[in-house]
Amino acid sequence: MAAHNLGTELDLSWISKVQVNHPAVLRRAQQVQARRTVKKEWQAAWLLKAVTFIDLTTLSGDDTSSNVQRLCYKAKYPIREDLLKALNMHDKDITTAAVCVYPARVCDAVRALKAAGCNIPVASVATGFPAGQTHLKTRLEEIRLAVEDGATEIDVVINRSLVLTGQWEGSDFIKTSTGKETVNATFPVAIVMLRAIRDFFWKTGNKIGFKPAGGIRSAKDALAWLSLIKEELGDEWLKPELFRIGASTLLSDIERQIYHHVTGRYAAYHDLPMS
Amino acid sequence: MAAATRTAPRAREIFTTLEYGPAPESHACALAWLDTQDRHLGHYVNGKWLKPERRNSVPCQDPITGENLASCLQAQAEDVAAAVEAARTALENWSTLPGARRAQHLTRLAKMIQKHQRLLWTLESLVTGRAVREVRDRDVPLAQQLLQYHAVQAHTQEEALAGWEPMGVIGLIVPPTFSFLEMMWRICPALAVGCTVVVLVPPASPAPLLLAQLAGELGSFPGILNMISGPTSLGPVLASQPGVQKVAFCGAVEEGRTLRRTLAGQGLELSLALGAESLLLLTEAADVDSAVEGVVDATWSDRSQGGLRLLIQESVWDETMTRLQARMGRLRVGRGLDGAVDMGARGAAARDLAQRYVHEAQSQGAQVFQAGDVPSDSPFYPPTLISDLPPASPCAQTEVPWPLVVASPFRTAKEALAVANGTPRGGSASVWSERLGQALELGYRLRMGIVWINAHGLRDPAVPTGGCKESGSSWHGGPDGLYEYLRPSGTPARQPSLSENLNYDTFGLAVPSTLPAGPETGPSSAPPYGLFVGGRFQAPGARSSRPIQDSHGNLHGYVAEGGAKDIRGAVEAAHQAAPGWVGQSPGARAALLGALAAALERRESALAARLERHGVELSVRRLRAWGARAQAQGHTLQVAELRGPVLRLREPLGVLAIVCPDEWPLLAFVSLLAPALAHGNTVVLVPSGTCPIPALEVCQDVATLLPAGLVNVVTGDRDHLTRCLALHQDVQALWYFGSVQGSQFVEWASAGNLKPVWVNRGLPRAWDQDAEGAGPELGLRAAQTKALWLPMGD
Repeated sequence: MAAHNLGTELDLSWISKVQVNHPAVLRRAQQVQARRTVKKEWQAAWLLKAVTFIDLTTLSGDDTSSNVQRLCYKAKYPIREDLLKALNMHDKDITTAAVCVYPARVCDAVRALKAAGCNIPVASVATGFPAGQTHLKTRLEEIRLAVEDGATEIDVVINRSLVLTGQWEGSDFIKTSTGKETVNATFPVAIVMLRAIRDFFWKTGNKIGFKPAGGIRSAKDALAWLSLIKEELGDEWLKPELFRIGASTLLSDIERQIYHHVTGRYAAYHDLPMS
Repeated sequence: MAAATRTAPRAREIFTTLEYGPAPESHACALAWLDTQDRHLGHYVNGKWLKPERRNSVPCQDPITGENLASCLQAQAEDVAAAVEAARTALENWSTLPGARRAQHLTRLAKMIQKHQRLLWTLESLVTGRAVREVRDRDVPLAQQLLQYHAVQAHTQEEALAGWEPMGVIGLIVPPTFSFLEMMWRICPALAVGCTVVVLVPPASPAPLLLAQLAGELGSFPGILNMISGPTSLGPVLASQPGVQKVAFCGAVEEGRTLRRTLAGQGLELSLALGAESLLLLTEAADVDSAVEGVVDATWSDRSQGGLRLLIQESVWDETMTRLQARMGRLRVGRGLDGAVDMGARGAAARDLAQRYVHEAQSQGAQVFQAGDVPSDSPFYPPTLISDLPPASPCAQTEVPWPLVVASPFRTAKEALAVANGTPRGGSASVWSERLGQALELGYRLRMGIVWINAHGLRDPAVPTGGCKESGSSWHGGPDGLYEYLRPSGTPARQPSLSENLNYDTFGLAVPSTLPAGPETGPSSAPPYGLFVGGRFQAPGARSSRPIQDSHGNLHGYVAEGGAKDIRGAVEAAHQAAPGWVGQSPGARAALLGALAAALERRESALAARLERHGVELSVRRLRAWGARAQAQGHTLQVAELRGPVLRLREPLGVLAIVCPDEWPLLAFVSLLAPALAHGNTVVLVPSGTCPIPALEVCQDVATLLPAGLVNVVTGDRDHLTRCLALHQDVQALWYFGSVQGSQFVEWASAGNLKPVWVNRGLPRAWDQDAEGAGPELGLRAAQTKALWLPMGD
């Protein structure tokens, strides 16, 4: 995680001056996906990079220690070793950026990662995820307990009733959505958020991180997100300290594409280990 | 299975740098197609390749590698003649088909393009150097949409365009910098309404030839679309072929001017679409990041052919420049066939033009900023931003070339309008402001053919696209695009009426002196003596008069002898009256025309005694009819994939000069005056030469009923007054009904400010018939179209 956002004096004039033209942003969102593409080695390298941005996530009501354990193992070994060797990337220690679980599963995740012998951070959603509509007291307690259990990153659901009434909160990292909404990470929304991050950086020198979550399932999507960050914020934001992708099934599609790149064949379902 | 051996040596480095790599689009199919022609391209005429012997050929080169791709024939006059002949033959059948059959054929061509789209886009990108993404994702789909839209128009033609007929063979001249899409914008409406086309394509542009081949391979109607490959200098040869009714030219302003002069008096219609510069107006209420993307769309995405003039409100100047420069740093320039570049190369000529402009701007004190990921080898030119160019420097007046953006500040919206409208160009512009009122105010008041609000460069087949002022007043797309290739049914076909020995330097220069000619026999109730200028009768500058004879050859009376200074005064008066008249609602204008009609009715008995039968009654009816028609003006268009409307506005031309015919001295005068006023123009008229008194009598009522300066009537020597009006740079349009020579002179002289002109070429017109005296043609000519795009979103 990057240095904390120490914050600035709240200056609501920044927000009132912001102009966003919706149709123009929609057009930009279409263009940014159509105007950049990476192929061959570039695609393989970009996909491996994308792996290192993934917050490998399981947020199901029926999560248990066994599937959390499997998730953690996949986080440590996201791509088949022989594929990495073929790309001469086996010594780069490619893991996902973090695993992301419910607070009650933090213990399981920390234990599993320790057993696998790695220091991938455990992130936990907290504070009445996904609605955030619980008391401040219990929300704070939830965070405290998750940290106590070993979570080093907390995805806080902000109190949206405060936002809608113009009472803003600060943050080190901003996330598009919980991933549990009907509409989650979309390009138009991301463009507006990224421009806000850039403006904040230009004004204060603080770099705020960005995490799209929900609906990012294909390798192609991941590449588009990477090029969106590269185009709107620049290369300095393309590191796990400042950019994460919240996803659960994305990793297997990336592995599938890497498999194809290396072997020239499309993988069968059983060729790749499940997560 | 174990991982095989296809290794990627560079993946390690790329993993660290996260750079973009090459994303080449294979152009094998384009080369294979060129091979089918043995790398030797001819013309495509009457559904067949035409490769005549003993012609010069020019190489068609890859603009980036310089590799020779093929050789292309240079046409000679006889090739052009053969193509026009084919088009004439095809016209007989094509123009008489039911619209539904033509619609079917256009739809088949759209499908044909769909089947061979990869070939089309790779060939176009390979040869022009433009980014393949733009050709593939925009031009090719738009070409198909154009065909489909115009197929629908053909389908409804008999009903929707009753009273109009196809002009005939259309000659189209496309200069080297334009893409095949520009050609499609003009071919589609022409074919849809039943015209056939001969296109003079610049040599070494195979994509149009491929399109012609695709059309030819549909089997039926081979001669409707013919391509001749040759230099623009063959344009006059194409125009002079018998049977060609209209020439449509797009290209540089000066070339258009020259062509206008060359074709004067040849009896054909000429439409011009000139220049490629665009304008972007960025206010302090804009979403600046989105506006910066608008700049990219306008200039640095291989979408348009020209550069951009960027007007930025002073209060957001620094912020905008910072964002713009940061954005420029992320642009990628490279081989057009790379799927991940923003800009390709446009060949040596375009690069040199940009280079020269930049050097000149620097020498005149401008700041130049260049950025982007640009290969260092020669064919590429980087995205360039020029600022601090002194407004009075020569560079600031010339057209901005691709891929340059010239930024200058403005203080208030009012000043922005003054700057934006203070150029001879009137093509396209965008306005960026989140304040609705301001955006609409600017959008309406910019004198441009197309205005986008908070967007730039959107196109759709249903929306007319064109310009005004020196950008040429031709239109393509939408209903206006169809009328470009139609004429009222029964219009006589082109008759060559060229006077080779007409001396443009002396035509109408001198005014013959007039002397007292005996006692006046006219009635004592004659209108006041003088020219009607600025709402009152004034003595002419020359202080001399001309005698008017009655039908028996007796001296009827004298009218004032107007001259250059009187024309100047009249045009000034008309300009002063213009803002007030434009600001009136159509209803208010109709009411005033109605009042004038009533006044005319009261004079009926006095006028009818010495005028044509029915003339007065018809005149009264014309005034009322046009007043009513002016109520139904522009309309709203619905566009696919755009949320929000596009307004098709019908705006006044400005100061319209009208030289009335000698015949029907009252009726023709009123028939021309009424549509001009109804559409919001202010006018300077030259009445009938033989019988100017009735017009002056109407002026007595005009003086009491209409605002001063709205109508100005100057009597005098017609040739002399025509000369003064045609050469006046601040007259926005001119209608001329007079001699063959006068028509030719008007066409020639209009090249000065490229004002739209309407001339009768010495042919009489049946002013007492509704079709010719009050037909929709007058309404079309009395106003200009403007498309205002209003995308919406919260």
